[in-house]
Amino acid sequence: MAAVIRLSSVCRRGIKPLFYQSTLLVRPLAVPHKHQEQPYLLTARIHSSQNLQASSNSKAASLHWTAERMLSVLLLAMGPVAYFNPGPVIDYSLAAALTLHGHWGLGQVLTDYVHGDTKIKMANAALFLLSTITFTGLCYFNYNDVGICKAVALLWSK
Amino acid sequence: MALLLRTLGRQSVCLAKPQYSVLYRHVAPMGSTAKEEMNKFWDKNSRLNRPMSPHITIYKWSVPMMMSITHRGTGVGLSGAISAFAVAALVLPGSYPYYLDLIHSLSIGPFLTGLAKFGIAFPVSYHTYNGIRHLGWDMGKGFKIPEVYRTGYTVIGLSVITSIALLMI
Repeated sequence: MAAVIRLSSVCRRGIKPLFYQSTLLVRPLAVPHKHQEQPYLLTARIHSSQNLQASSNSKAASLHWTAERMLSVLLLAMGPVAYFNPGPVIDYSLAAALTLHGHWGLGQVLTDYVHGDTKIKMANAALFLLSTITFTGLCYFNYNDVGICKAVALLWSK
Repeated sequence: MALLLRTLGRQSVCLAKPQYSVLYRHVAPMGSTAKEEMNKFWDKNSRLNRPMSPHITIYKWSVPMMMSITHRGTGVGLSGAISAFAVAALVLPGSYPYYLDLIHSLSIGPFLTGLAKFGIAFPVSYHTYNGIRHLGWDMGKGFKIPEVYRTGYTVIGLSVITSIALLMI
């Protein structure tokens, strides 16, 4: 194919002799078929990331990634709000945002280090339980006790 | 074909231009997702009981590497602390001011109190500032190696300064 000839002119560093051998092998052959009008090119299997949705059309992972970043920005904004406008609204919002940010963050840690279908399932179940308990505890604290903002203020005044 | 595409890409040739589409007119995508491929890797290697190659024990540690694992460490630590606090809130009988007074009555002394405050303030500061650095990367900014180091040292400096400032108030 013309592209092979272009290869040698494009490459400034020079190709090792071995490469020349392999490109010659790679050059698609014009398959000699007696009544073929047009030689067809042999196809190559290439990992083309755009077409991966051929096997799984789910955008779930990508959307999850975006949601994680949006939550991070939201949590960042809650800091100053909690400082200047403490109260029950920000207390419960912080409880939710902190728990979810932690849940998703620990989820990534598990994905990185835990392998094997059963182990992954068990680890994620345990994480879900932990996050549920965490959120419950924080809401309980907000309702029955001083609340997150006041707690931080009291802790720091000591 | 893959060799050709790789070589051209390495030369920073823009393969998206129409004249290059002839190179991948006949390519076929792989039939599996990245997740499936990763699972296959782990299944095969744990089935064959293969030991893991040394990696973090032999590779030279760099500042970006250490900052990355510290970000993860502070994240896990802070999450654990929040969860512990939540469980304590559910389990312990007294109220928060009661337990604060209890700790206060132990007369811990200013140095240890300061140390404890720093122990809380530093992970929060570091994780926050480095988190902002991560969000910059997520927007595609700051990937050049000098930038990585510059932003990295900024995060460390800001974290220390913020933590000390928080100690003072």
